[in-house]
Amino acid sequence: MEETILKRWSRELTIAGAIVLFLLPLIGIPGKTYMTLTIAGLAMGMLLFLVASGVSIIFGLMDVLNFAHGALFAWGAYVGFTVFGYLMKWVEADSVLQNFAAFSLAIVAAMVVVSLVGIVLEKVIVRRVYGSHLFQILITFGATIVLVELIRVFWGPNDEVMTVPLTFSKSWDIMDIIINRYRVICIAVGLVVYGVIQLILKKTKLGTIVRAGVEDRDMVQAMGHNIFLLFTGVFAAGAALAALGGLTMSLFSLQVYPDMGGTYLLFAFIVVIIGGLGSVTGSLVGALIVGLTYNYVAYLVPWAAAGANIMIMIIILLIRPTGLFPVGK
Amino acid sequence: MEEERSVNDAILKVEKAHTFIGQHHILQGISFESKADAVTVLIGRNGAGKSTALRTVIGLLPPSEGKIFFKGEEIQKKKPYEIARMGIGFVPENMGIFAGLTVEENMRVAMLVEDEATTQRLERALDMFADLRKFWKGKAGNLSGGQKQMLAIARAIVNDTSLLLIDEPSKGLAPIIVDAVIEAINQIKDHSVVVLVEQNFYMASSVGDYFYIMDDGMVVHGGIMEELVHDEGLKSKYLGISKTGD
Amino acid sequence: MAEATPVQIFHMEEKRRQYRSGGFFLKVGLLALFVLVPFLFPSFKTVDLAMQIIIFATLVASFDILLGYTGILSFGHGMFFGIGAYCVAFLVGKYGTPSYANLALGFVIAALVASVLALVISFLSLRVKAIFFAMITLALAELAIVLATKLSGFTGGEDGISLNMPGVLAVSFNAGNFLGLEITGRILTYYFILLACLGLFLAMLRFTHSPLGRVLQAIRDNVERAEALGYKTFVFQAISITFGCVVAALVGGLYGMWVGYVNPESCLGVLSIMLAILLMCIIGGMGTLYGGIVGAAFFMITETFLPDLQHLAKDFFPSAVLLHNVLERWHLVLGVLFILVVIFFPKGIIGSVREFIDRRK
Repeated sequence: MEETILKRWSRELTIAGAIVLFLLPLIGIPGKTYMTLTIAGLAMGMLLFLVASGVSIIFGLMDVLNFAHGALFAWGAYVGFTVFGYLMKWVEADSVLQNFAAFSLAIVAAMVVVSLVGIVLEKVIVRRVYGSHLFQILITFGATIVLVELIRVFWGPNDEVMTVPLTFSKSWDIMDIIINRYRVICIAVGLVVYGVIQLILKKTKLGTIVRAGVEDRDMVQAMGHNIFLLFTGVFAAGAALAALGGLTMSLFSLQVYPDMGGTYLLFAFIVVIIGGLGSVTGSLVGALIVGLTYNYVAYLVPWAAAGANIMIMIIILLIRPTGLFPVGK
Repeated sequence: MEEERSVNDAILKVEKAHTFIGQHHILQGISFESKADAVTVLIGRNGAGKSTALRTVIGLLPPSEGKIFFKGEEIQKKKPYEIARMGIGFVPENMGIFAGLTVEENMRVAMLVEDEATTQRLERALDMFADLRKFWKGKAGNLSGGQKQMLAIARAIVNDTSLLLIDEPSKGLAPIIVDAVIEAINQIKDHSVVVLVEQNFYMASSVGDYFYIMDDGMVVHGGIMEELVHDEGLKSKYLGISKTGD
Repeated sequence: MAEATPVQIFHMEEKRRQYRSGGFFLKVGLLALFVLVPFLFPSFKTVDLAMQIIIFATLVASFDILLGYTGILSFGHGMFFGIGAYCVAFLVGKYGTPSYANLALGFVIAALVASVLALVISFLSLRVKAIFFAMITLALAELAIVLATKLSGFTGGEDGISLNMPGVLAVSFNAGNFLGLEITGRILTYYFILLACLGLFLAMLRFTHSPLGRVLQAIRDNVERAEALGYKTFVFQAISITFGCVVAALVGGLYGMWVGYVNPESCLGVLSIMLAILLMCIIGGMGTLYGGIVGAAFFMITETFLPDLQHLAKDFFPSAVLLHNVLERWHLVLGVLFILVVIFFPKGIIGSVREFIDRRK
């Protein structure tokens, strides 16, 4: 009994501590800049969440650490880039409706194409190495090389400029705080995706089976569920999320390049280590921590931005090796 | 459904199955069968391969050699989910409870179809294990050991199973709970054939009709449970049981 | 003398077999070839190729200590290599004058930094899951590149650092003609590095055949069993990882000596150095040490002669566009090869050849 009270308090204390920690940068940053940075951080966090949640669910259910996730992310960005190329009139139009149409079509195309790539990847390559972490990492790393090279073959080896839909690139000015519209869109997309994932996992039978599979794969099989079909489906869903992340991130950073997946895969790893492998909520919290920290530190100490998140990851590993939201196995 | 089985056929028949875990040769050609309308108990010391035998039948540890028949059909090459869908329920040694899911969700994952018959079976199971109804919306991880065991058994009988594989249901349970489990299995046996792995001889003899003694990955003895109960020599040789008061 | 124990007899027999087998002569022959390369093919391109093969073979062998013998995948091996290169470069390039003492000190510092870092990473990641090692080393490797690039005041940034060798190793040194070969500082550096790599390689062989190495293989094959036998697997893994990483740092220093220049891309790059190490190790065969030689030779020779191959293809098959495109995207071929090797020949070239010979016997 005493322990549960302590536990309950520790949760509140953690939240309070986190809030204090994220208000701390206010000492060094003027209030308005702080707000802008916070929104940028939240937007970046949401985009990282899209990438990391796929890594996390795939690991949780299939026990596969997918190093090819970064390449799928880049594929998503490039498919979106192509769609934008065809719909350039809509992208450049000063009309919210046409902008959104182009944006949505690009998202759908990216998610469909990349989930197909994901299905092929799972069926042809990953399936052969279930059970061996070492070979999974090796083989998905090999898949990364191939997928990135294929980008160079299909789209060329150079950096390309990503055009943001015209109305997205404008800003709102609320009490002298400049808020970029696209960042708000990113936050919205992230929240919607989080909601949809939670809804599927918590409220549908399929989602319940996936959660059960994360805990005990063998038992789910022994209950008559075709786990391999489930694996393929989850892998495809994870790939689609990576694609969504890649597309939205390329609009955030205004460019696409073949190796872009590597950097963000790294962020995704940091996020899932902080949040706990296998947990969707953990991915969201971890991603927001990483996004906010990156933006605050990049403002205060520019060269330390990349290191700050790795430091957080190391601290989390020291005090809580299984991450903030560990999944019971 | 259950009535259609011909009485004398062995519903499950394992023939000379060999199973490896990694490089370890665990099952070294075991053969046993499970007669219709009866409870067959696999008994033996720790590490004799009893649990492996059940996992081999359900397909989680496919045999490298030998044959397994279920209702006359070979199943040793099938995937676990295919075998389960043929009508075999499985309760593993660790009970395989999904601790993060609620009791309700545990049952829903188990229900392959959600038709009327399944709902009826669900009601039957919940009548048998009233605690499950009480904690219906609670996390399965918070259940007591006995309740978890009951949930595990309830999950296995909610489908139209004609064979139930139960691995050491008495493990780690208080004697009074063991009695409840025995009662449950005695009820289940009216609907389904049961193959039980058990080290607790009291439980084995209370529910079993037939027995097989396993030792070092092989079946060394088999017969009718009643005979074993009176065969002190066999019991002390393989089970380390000497005559006690109960 | 007392009668030999069965273990001693086993070792003696093993040794006898070792020296009689064809493999032994192959190894000696290979070493002789590397010794004679400057005399046989004195062109800069060939000597450079031979040197790169030697350096990378040693580096891949040290990676194999982790991957093949400990079952730990590190994406930070390139980083340790780079740390070694930078340490030596600091001492005889940016912050010190080229002297033998500074050169030696550079290697000592490289080994120290590498061992501390490797121990810290092992402690952080192995506590949880072995796969964390791959994730954390990847993160740290990227961080190392960022730091090396951004902290340009300290590391020279993108421009890198040039190294100057002391005394007889200096580029300007010339000891005259010997058997038709100009004995320059470069040639002496070549032999110095060859000797150092040979020493490191023998040390690694010794390590894998030591009782410690055998325990490691037991851990790799079955962690639970090794733990049940009472081995503290964590300690053994940490020692092995540290050893492999220190060797990588030393090899990095040697590499810096040879190319005379270090920068973030060439020494720390995950997609340049690390990718090369992984490909060489997998294609050559992990868990053998010698696989590194085969892998490095294969990789380096194809990379060196790839432009020639491309020209050749254009000259002889001017219409085969597909062939040209494939050769243009050489990494695509390597990637596919890598996947195929992992799926179908998980033991690599050396492992598969050994298996083939064993089966024929």
